[in-house]
Amino acid sequence: MSTELDTNSSYAMEIRNLTKKFGNFTAVDNISFNVRKGEIFGFLGANGAGKTTAMKILCGLSRPTAGEGTVAGFDINNEQEKIKRHIGYMSQKFALYPDLTVRENIRLFGGIYGLADPEIKAKTNNMLQTLEMENVRDKLAGELPLGWKQKLSFSIALIHGPEIIFLDEPTGGVDPETRRRFWEMIYEASEKGITVFVTTHYMDEAEYCDRVSIMVDGRIEALDSPAALKTKYKATNMDAVFRTIARKAQREE
Amino acid sequence: MWKYLLEKEFKQFFRNPGLPKMAIAFPVLMMLVFPFAVSMEIRNINLVVVDNNKSTVSAQLIEKCTSSGYFKLIDICQSPEKAQEYMDDNRADAIITIESDFDEETGKGTGLPLGIKVNTVNGTKGSIGAQYIASCIRMFLKEQDTGTAGNSTPTIDISEKYYYNPYMDYKVFMVPALIVIAITMVTGFFPALNIVGEKETGTIEQINVTPVKKTAFIICKLIPYWVIALFILTACLIIAWLVFGYTCHGNLLSLYLFSGLQIIVTAGLGLLISNYSNNAQQAMFIIWFFMMIFMLMSGIFTPIASMPEWAKVITYFNPMRYYADAMRAIFLKGSSPLDVWYDAAGLLAIGTAVVSWAIFSYKKTE
Amino acid sequence: MKEFFAFIKKEFLHIFRDKRTILIVMIMPIVQIILFGFAISTEVNNVRVAIVGDTTDPEVRKVIDRIDNNKYLTVTEILSNTNEISPKFQRNEADVAVCFSRNFDSELHSGGKASIRIIGDGSDPNTAQMITSYVSGAIQDEQDDITIDYAGEQKTSMSPVVQLMYNPAMKSSYNFVPGVMGLILMLICSMMTAISIVKEKETGTMELLLVSPVKPLWIIISKAMPYLVLSIANFVSILLLSHYVMEVPVNGSLFLLSGVALLFIIASLAIGLLISVIASNQRTALLISGMGLTMPTMIFSGIIFPCESMPEILQWVSHIIPAKWFIIMVKKIMIQGDGFVYIIKELSILAGMAAALLAISIKSFKTRLQ
Repeated sequence: MSTELDTNSSYAMEIRNLTKKFGNFTAVDNISFNVRKGEIFGFLGANGAGKTTAMKILCGLSRPTAGEGTVAGFDINNEQEKIKRHIGYMSQKFALYPDLTVRENIRLFGGIYGLADPEIKAKTNNMLQTLEMENVRDKLAGELPLGWKQKLSFSIALIHGPEIIFLDEPTGGVDPETRRRFWEMIYEASEKGITVFVTTHYMDEAEYCDRVSIMVDGRIEALDSPAALKTKYKATNMDAVFRTIARKAQREE
Repeated sequence: MWKYLLEKEFKQFFRNPGLPKMAIAFPVLMMLVFPFAVSMEIRNINLVVVDNNKSTVSAQLIEKCTSSGYFKLIDICQSPEKAQEYMDDNRADAIITIESDFDEETGKGTGLPLGIKVNTVNGTKGSIGAQYIASCIRMFLKEQDTGTAGNSTPTIDISEKYYYNPYMDYKVFMVPALIVIAITMVTGFFPALNIVGEKETGTIEQINVTPVKKTAFIICKLIPYWVIALFILTACLIIAWLVFGYTCHGNLLSLYLFSGLQIIVTAGLGLLISNYSNNAQQAMFIIWFFMMIFMLMSGIFTPIASMPEWAKVITYFNPMRYYADAMRAIFLKGSSPLDVWYDAAGLLAIGTAVVSWAIFSYKKTE
Repeated sequence: MKEFFAFIKKEFLHIFRDKRTILIVMIMPIVQIILFGFAISTEVNNVRVAIVGDTTDPEVRKVIDRIDNNKYLTVTEILSNTNEISPKFQRNEADVAVCFSRNFDSELHSGGKASIRIIGDGSDPNTAQMITSYVSGAIQDEQDDITIDYAGEQKTSMSPVVQLMYNPAMKSSYNFVPGVMGLILMLICSMMTAISIVKEKETGTMELLLVSPVKPLWIIISKAMPYLVLSIANFVSILLLSHYVMEVPVNGSLFLLSGVALLFIIASLAIGLLISVIASNQRTALLISGMGLTMPTMIFSGIIFPCESMPEILQWVSHIIPAKWFIIMVKKIMIQGDGFVYIIKELSILAGMAAALLAISIKSFKTRLQ
C-alpha cells in the first residue's frame, strides 16, 4: 500500500498510523484506514474505544499526536480550517443554539459557511419543506422534540453541500421508527454522492453501512463490509460479530 | 459572516430571560441608591466628654464641639473608666478629657490641659474625627484669645477654596465612579459567562467544526456588550442629570470614547477568562477576583498615591485606574481627552493585549 | 441517616474532583487579602503642591520651606498666576495650590496681616479636605513661630494632643482585613451553594435526588456541607495571613471569633440557597451572587463608607446586610479585644438573620418542588 497521499484518488479519506495520546493514555492507537468517496462508512466500537476522539481529529477539532492523512484532500495535521470548509458535522449532543429559532439556526450556519442571503432563504424554505417543519420554523430549537432536533442538525450539517458528513451517534435516544426515518435521510444524502462517516453502537444500524470498522481499545480490529464480516466470524448478524471482537477489550469504560 | 454572527449574539442576549433585565437594572439601581450611600463625609461622630474642670470655659468648649454638627454628644461623665467603657462598646468614637485646671491654663495661655482619644480601628473615621476635634478646639481658643492677645502679633489669614466642587459634595465625586463600576461590572461579568456557556451547552463544538474565523467570532461576541454598555452610560448620565442635577463639565463624546475603550478591555478579559475556564463557576470566580482588585485598587475609593510602591506598579495594569481617572477628570474638571491622553494610552495598550490574547487563546483545534 | 452520609460523601467527591475550582477558591482570598491589606489605605501621601506667589519674598520662602518639609507634602511647581491652577488640576499634575497675597512679607510684618488661600481640587472632596488640613497645619506652624517671636517664650503650643486608640499606627489593614474577610466568605459561600443547586436543577438530577428516600432538607444540608468545609478553610487561611503577615492582632477570644465566623458562613450559605430558588439558570444565579451581592455588601457594610453618614433609609438598608454585623464583631473581637458581652447585640442580630434566611429558603425550596 502506498503511503503517498493522492488528492485525486477515489478516497474521501486516507488515514495512516493515526495516534492520539492524552498524557499516558493512548486513546487512538496507530490506526489506518481509507474511506471511499460516496460510501457509508460505519465507525463502530464500545464506549471509550476511541471513536469520538478519532472522529474529532478527522473533523479538525483535535490535533493528532502522530500519524498523517487527508480528509477531503486536505492534511489533517495542518489544514484543519480547509477541511472544515468541506465537511459537515453532527455531534451526539444537540449542538444547535437552543435559544435561536429553527429558522435562525439555519440562517446562522448558512451565513457562517458563506452562503449569500437569497441562497440561505431558498435553502431554508427547501429544508423546512422536506423536514415538514414549516409550522415550527419560528419555534426555539431547544423546544423541539429530540427526533426533530436530530433531523434539523443533520440538515444543517449539509447546508453548504459538504463532500463528507460526520455523524457522531446521531440516533442516540430515539425510538426505532424515528431512527429508521433518519437512516432514510442518510441514504438520500449518500445517493447525492456525499460520503457518510457514522459512529453508532446500534448494531442493526451497522447493517445499513457499506463498510464498517470495529474499534477496540483504540485500535481497528476489523474493517470490511457487513456481509464479509459476518462470513468471516461465522455470525448471523452484526451484533454477534461485534461481541466476538469486543470480547478482546482490556480497557474499562 | 460577521453579519450572521452578530445577529446571533444580539438575539441570544435579548432573548435571555434574565440578562437584559439585569444589565439595565443593576446600573440604574446603583445610580439611584448608591450616590446617597457612598459618602466619606464623616458625620455623627459619637463623642464622650470627661469634664473634670466643670467651669464655664469647659462648658463653652463642649458647646462649641456639639454645635459644629459633626458630633453627637453621648455623655458627659466624670470617670475616665466609664468613658473607656463607652469606647470599648463602640458607642463612643472619640473621648475628650478636660483636666481640672483647664480654664486657668487656657486663660493664661500657658498650656492646654486636655486630652483627645479617638477610635482608629476605622482609619478614616478616626483621623477625620481627630481633625474635626482639633479644629474645633483651635477655633475655640482663637475666640477665647481675642481678649488677651494684643493686636501686635502679625497673623496669617488662611482661607480655603475648592475648585470644581465648592460645596464639597461627595456625591458628585462618586457619580462618575459609579458609572465606571457599573459599566466595568456589566461588561466584565456578562462576557465571562458567554463562551463558557457555549462550552457547557456544546454549541461551541458545532461552531469550531465550521470554517468560522476566530477573530470574527470573538469580535462579534464583543460588540453587543459594547452597545449595551454605551446604552448604560447614556442611562446613567441621564439619571445623574435628572436625579442629581450633575452634568458633565467636559465633552460628552469623550466620556463615550473612554467607555468604549474600557469595554474593549473588560469584555476582552471576560472572554479570555471564559476561554480558560472549564465551567461557569470557575469563570465567575476568576472574573470576580479581578473585578474586586480592579475596583479596590483603581483609586476610586482610596487614593493610589497612598499605596506602597509595589502596589502602585500593579495599578498600571489595572484598566479601571485609567478609566476612572479619565471619567472623573472629564466629568468633574472638564479635562479634554488630550489632558488625559495617558489614560487613553493605558486603556488602549491593555485592550489590545487582552483582546489579542482572547483571540489567540480561543482554539478551534485542540 | 446512612443515605445522608452517602450523599455527603458523594458531594465531597464531586466537588473535590474539580481541582481547578478548589485551587481558585483557596488561592483567591489569599491574594486578595494580601493585596488589599497592604495596598489600600486612606492616608494621603505624596501630595503635589503648586505655589502661586512671589518666591523672592522672604516670608513666602519660609512658608514654602515649611510646606516642603512636611512629610506628606512636596512642592512641585511654582506658578505665576492663579489662572494656571485649573489646567494643572485638569491634567492631574497638582493636588493643591497655595496662593500668597502680594507683598506678603511686608504686609505681614508691618501691616500685621497677610493672607494665604489654599485651593484644593474639589473633584475628590475627601482627599482635598485632608490635603488642605495638612497644608494649613504647616502654615499654622509658621504662625506659631511668629507668635512666639513677637510675644516671647511664655506662650506654648496650643495644639491638642491626640491619642489614637486600638490602632496607634493608623494601619488601614485593621479596617480592611475584617471587611475583605466578610466580603470573601460571603461571596464564596453563597455563590458556590447557589450554583451547585441550580446546576442540579438544570440537568434534572435534582428530581432524581428528590425521589430518593432522603428528605429534601437533608439533601440541601449535604449539598452545603462541602462548601461549609471549604469556607472554614478559607476563614482559617485568611485569619492566619492577617495575623502573621498583615500583623492584625487577635486580642479577643479566638474561639469566639471562630463561632462568629461559623454563624456568618451559615447565613451566607442560606443566602446562596435562596438565590438558587430564585434563579432559573446558572448564569442568572452567578450574576445575582457575583454582582448583586458584591456591590451592596461593599457599599453598605461599612468597609469603605461609614454607615453613620448615610441617610436614615439607607442606614436601615445597611442593617439588613449580614456582612455589616459580622465585620463589626470581627473588629470588636480582633482589634478591640472585646468579650462575649460586648457583642451580644450583633451576635443575636446575625443569628436571627441566619435563622430567618434558612427558614425562608428551605420553605420556598420545598414549595417550588411541589
